[in-house]
Amino acid sequence: MLEIRSARKVFYKGQPDEKVALDGLDLKLNTGEFGVVIGSNGAGKSSMLNAISGALVLDSGQIVINGDDVTEMPVHKRAMRLARVFQDPMKGTAASMTVAENMLLAELRSKKRSLRQGLNARRLADYRERLALLGLGLENRLDTRVELLSGGQRQSLSLIMAVGGEPELLLLDEHTAALDPRTADIVMQATVRAVDALKLTTLMVTHNMQHAVDFGHSVIMLDAGKLRLEITGDEKAKVTVPDLIGHFAVKTDRMLLAS
Amino acid sequence: MDLIQTIFWSFVALIPVTLAQSLILAFVVLGIMIPFRTLNFPDLTSEGAFPLGGCVCGVLLAAGASPLTAIAIAIIAGFLAGCCTAFIHLRFRIHTLLAGILMMTMLYSINLRIMGKSNLSVFGAPTVFDWAPFVQPGFPASKIIIAGVIGAVVFILLNMFFKTEKGTAIRAVGANPDMAEAQGINVWVATIGGVGLASAFSATGGALMVQSQGFADVNMGLGILINGLAALMIGEAIVGKQTVLRQLAAPFVGAVVYYQLVSFCLAAGMPPPDLKLATGLFVLAMLALPSLKRSRGPAPARETVRE
Repeated sequence: MLEIRSARKVFYKGQPDEKVALDGLDLKLNTGEFGVVIGSNGAGKSSMLNAISGALVLDSGQIVINGDDVTEMPVHKRAMRLARVFQDPMKGTAASMTVAENMLLAELRSKKRSLRQGLNARRLADYRERLALLGLGLENRLDTRVELLSGGQRQSLSLIMAVGGEPELLLLDEHTAALDPRTADIVMQATVRAVDALKLTTLMVTHNMQHAVDFGHSVIMLDAGKLRLEITGDEKAKVTVPDLIGHFAVKTDRMLLAS
Repeated sequence: MDLIQTIFWSFVALIPVTLAQSLILAFVVLGIMIPFRTLNFPDLTSEGAFPLGGCVCGVLLAAGASPLTAIAIAIIAGFLAGCCTAFIHLRFRIHTLLAGILMMTMLYSINLRIMGKSNLSVFGAPTVFDWAPFVQPGFPASKIIIAGVIGAVVFILLNMFFKTEKGTAIRAVGANPDMAEAQGINVWVATIGGVGLASAFSATGGALMVQSQGFADVNMGLGILINGLAALMIGEAIVGKQTVLRQLAAPFVGAVVYYQLVSFCLAAGMPPPDLKLATGLFVLAMLALPSLKRSRGPAPARETVRE
C-alpha cells in the first residue's frame, strides 16, 4: 500500500518564479491496486512520482510504503521496495552494458550484491525465459549492448527489468509516450499482463485517455499539485474518454478565468 | 643505410629497459582507465598519486622498511587520495576534472612534506625486484618478471571482480548513474571506492618505479597523465574496449606499445623536449577522431563524462 500524506514541494521558493509543484497532496493506493494518473502539464504528476521514488525531497509531508515511512530514505534505499519505468527509454537502462547485465542489475535491485560471479547459466536461462514473453526476440540478444536496441526494445526491457523482482510498488512514468503506436501497444499489453499476473501495486502516469479508460482500477486526476478527482469501482468501469476530457476542459476554463 | 642500422640497433638495445619501465607504468595507465572508462569519471589524481606512491615508498625504504611494506603503505596512501577526489566531486558538486586538479596540486605539497626534500636516493635499499627467480638482481629481466607477474595477477583479479555482482554494479554507475541509483546501487560508495582503487594502482606504479630507479623525486609525476592517456588510447585502438576483458587488457598492451614507440622516436633522433608536444598531439588526434569521422556517415556516440 502506498500513502502520500499532505506532500508539499515548492520550487524556487521566495523567488519571482516560485512554483508550487505539490500543494498538500494526499493519495492512497491499496495493495494490488492499479491507479492511472492523469492531469495536464505542470499538474504535479512527475513531481509526485519523483517524490515517491526519492529523486525529489519534499518540503513537508510523508511518503509511506506498506506502513513504513520512507520520506527520509535516499533513492538507492527505496529501490529495495519500488521499481520505475521512465518515459525516456535511455534513462532506465545502462546503454553500454549488455541485455543480460541490465537484467542482472535489476534482479539485484532488492538484494545484497555479493562477490560471486554475476551472470551464471541459471540466471541466463531465467532471463531468456522472461524476455521471451515479450515476443520481440530479445531472448536471443542477451549479449547485445543495449545501445544497439531500438527505443521500443529498450523500453520493453526496462519494463521486464522493473516487474522482475516483484517490487512492492511499480511506477510507470508515461512509459509508452515515446514509442510508435504498435510498439506502445506491445509494451502496454506486456505491462497489463505483468501487473495482473503479479498483482503489483502500480501507479501509471499517462496522457493517453484511452489507456486511462481501458486499464487500471482507478483514475486519479491531479491539478495544481492537488488531488482533483478520483474515479474508482463501478464508476471507473463506466467512464469514457469524453468524460475524462470533460474534466480537463473545466480546468482549462478556470485557468483562463484566473489568468 | 648505416644510419637506419644505427637507429635500429640502438632501439633494440633499449627494448628490455623500456619493457621493464612500461610494465611498471602500466599500473598508472590502469589507474587512469578505471575511472575514465568504467566510472565515466575523468580523473587527474594520478598525476599526484603516482609521485605520492613514490614518495611514501622512498621514505619508508630509507627508514629501513621492507619493500613490500613500503608498497602496501603507498597503496593505502594512493587509495585515500583517490577517495578524496571522488568525495570533493560528489559532496561539493565540483567538476570531476577540477576536483582532480585540486587534488593533484595539493598532493604536490603533501609529497614534499612526506619526503622533506625534493628528492631522495634509496639506492642500495632492498627492492621487490631482488626476489625475481633465475635472474641477477638489478638487471631489466628481474623488473620485467616481477612487474609482469604483479600486473598479470592484478589483471586476472580485476577481470574476475568486474564480472561479480558488485563489479557489475560499479560498471553500471559509470554507464548510467541515475539508472544505477534506481536499481538500488549506492553511487557514492561505488564512485569513491572505484576512484580510490584507481589511485591505489597509480601509487603502486610510483612505488615500483622508485624501487626500480633507486630514487624518489617529487616531480616524477610530471606529464605522467598525458603519457598514460596516450598509452590507453593506443591500447584501446589495438585490443578494443567492447568487453571487460579487452578494456582491462588495453592499459597493459597500450603501455608496452606506447613506451616502445617513444623509445623508437628517441633512438631515431627526436629531441626529448619535443616529446610532450608529440604525445599531446597524438592524444588530441585520438580524441578528435570520432568527431572527424562524424562529418562523414552517421554520428557515433559522443564522448560524454560526468561533470
